[in-house]
Amino acid sequence: MNDDYFSIDAILAENQKVGCRFKIDIPDMGHLGGGGERDIAWSNTLQLPIWLVYTVVLSDWADMIMPPAFGNKVRNALKAEPCSVRLASLVGAGGLWYGFGKTIMELLVDKKEMSELLTNTFRKRLVEVIDQAQHFAALGPAGGTGGSGDSAQSFREGLDGTERELFALAQEGSKRMKRWYEEGEKARR
Amino acid sequence: MSLPPALRASVTPPELELIACQELVEIIPLIAMEKTAFISGAYGPLRPPHKARIPIWMAVNLKQKKKCHILAPEWLTVEYLQDKILQETTQDEFTKLPFRFAEISRVLLDAASDDLQNPDKLRSLLKDLREARQAKARAGLQSLEHSTLGLSNLSAMEINEIRPFFIEAMAVLGQLRP
Amino acid sequence: MSGVDSWEAEFHRSKTNANAASGPSAPRRAPSALLEREDQPMPDFLPEEPLPDETPLEQLTRHWMNERHAPDILPAQDVLLSSLLDHIRRQSDTIQLLRGDPSTSEEEHIRIMLAQTEVERVKFIVRSYVRTRLYKIETYARYIIANEEVQTRITTAERDYASRHAHLIDRHFYSSVLQSLPESQAGLDDIPNFIMPPMVTEPDTTRAVFAHARKGTIARTPEGKTVDLAKGSLTLLSFSAVSDLVSSGDVQLV
Repeated sequence: MNDDYFSIDAILAENQKVGCRFKIDIPDMGHLGGGGERDIAWSNTLQLPIWLVYTVVLSDWADMIMPPAFGNKVRNALKAEPCSVRLASLVGAGGLWYGFGKTIMELLVDKKEMSELLTNTFRKRLVEVIDQAQHFAALGPAGGTGGSGDSAQSFREGLDGTERELFALAQEGSKRMKRWYEEGEKARR
Repeated sequence: MSLPPALRASVTPPELELIACQELVEIIPLIAMEKTAFISGAYGPLRPPHKARIPIWMAVNLKQKKKCHILAPEWLTVEYLQDKILQETTQDEFTKLPFRFAEISRVLLDAASDDLQNPDKLRSLLKDLREARQAKARAGLQSLEHSTLGLSNLSAMEINEIRPFFIEAMAVLGQLRP
Repeated sequence: MSGVDSWEAEFHRSKTNANAASGPSAPRRAPSALLEREDQPMPDFLPEEPLPDETPLEQLTRHWMNERHAPDILPAQDVLLSSLLDHIRRQSDTIQLLRGDPSTSEEEHIRIMLAQTEVERVKFIVRSYVRTRLYKIETYARYIIANEEVQTRITTAERDYASRHAHLIDRHFYSSVLQSLPESQAGLDDIPNFIMPPMVTEPDTTRAVFAHARKGTIARTPEGKTVDLAKGSLTLLSFSAVSDLVSSGDVQLV
């Protein structure tokens, strides 16, 4: 999650679509929603990219609809079993669930509740991320079926983009260490 | 290019090894050498069979030319390590170990295993110790919040392994705040 | 002067020179001799436990690691660096002299080899230290030329480098993209509005670092919380909370 002006990741993350219910009529802007409509009418719901949603919501032309990625069903699942939710499936290609949540949070009045959801989920899944990453580093390139089988693999596949980055950081750190330890052993033989 | 990408992400284990080798170790020299001014300090004289303290990099160099024997530091013995493992597995905090114990033990085991008591056992004990502590570091993540985390008694190599991960995780937590 | 004599001369020179390397066998210098503290008066009462004495090489190693881990550019250590470079040069000269001398014994050769090895080690650290700073200067070149406070932390040569680098990048952006944009969009200095990050990349001083307290001290986090740093403790916290302590030497980054 990068706040750098030039970060490509951050730019791509802003393409995430969010539903907005319009509070006014806007003629000739129907193409923004992607459909065939010419005009936007009051109470129309359009799926708009986040970078546009900021302007639309903050200018009070529309209300944002909470995306399903943060809906009640997901929240309950996360409260019960955070590690078994596949965050990658909740967001589109490139999946940045936390990044998406953060950008939504900017538009909410009650930011605290969303922040707690994101933070608690992140923290609980973090231990599993590093656990598996270090285990993978230990198994080496051939360790494809690593972890405790299916649930571990499912967890890895369900990691959001941010968690993937963290996984790679932990794995890289452990691999470097391992390589250095083995250098010594090779020199001995 | 000023700094290769591999070095930007983190300090590398070989760099830590370089630093660790500046520390002193005791040797029994097999050649004589006058007291000499090196850049890092004055070392010697070497007068066999009297013991002398010189930097590890120097000791390893001499050992490779068969010009000295290296004496194990007090913490690199089977008894000491077994004791530490027991402590490590029966308390929550990290036990106190020499900050660069991982680098120093690997270098000495590589260069002078014939001078050390039971090198294979030492290696296996060090591995057990590493794994016990690695598990503790992971558990420590539970208390990670966006601003501070106490990690006293972690060693240089251990910090290095998790550093990028912990720093990034803390950054993310900071960004998820309202 | 013969080869061995010049070696002896070097040895005696380093013993009498207050600033030169004096290893563990030499008497300890008073804490106020540490380079960072030279202009600070010693208090009347006994300070609680002076910081352990460091040889110049140990100091450089510490500054090197600090620089590697810090997200921002740290105050330049050019005095330390040039004194070490001097020492390297003198040592290299001595080595050259001795190598050329046909009368040197086998033991001498070992001494020479060790000295050479050490010179390479020190050069590695010096190079890496300089490169790390250069990398940061390149990354934050535009920020540096606009910011006076940062400029106090870098050497003149580094400032020139930043300036040249920034202009190079600007010209590149302009000639490849910006000149084709309408004038109002062609700036690189746009003022950030509510959620956009600034166009000029700044060092992220909130990034966490592993702080090792060389003496007991207190840090203040960006939110104003105070954190006790007991002597010898290791804490992961925001760089901005300890940046002053790192500059003063109370804290080192590991």
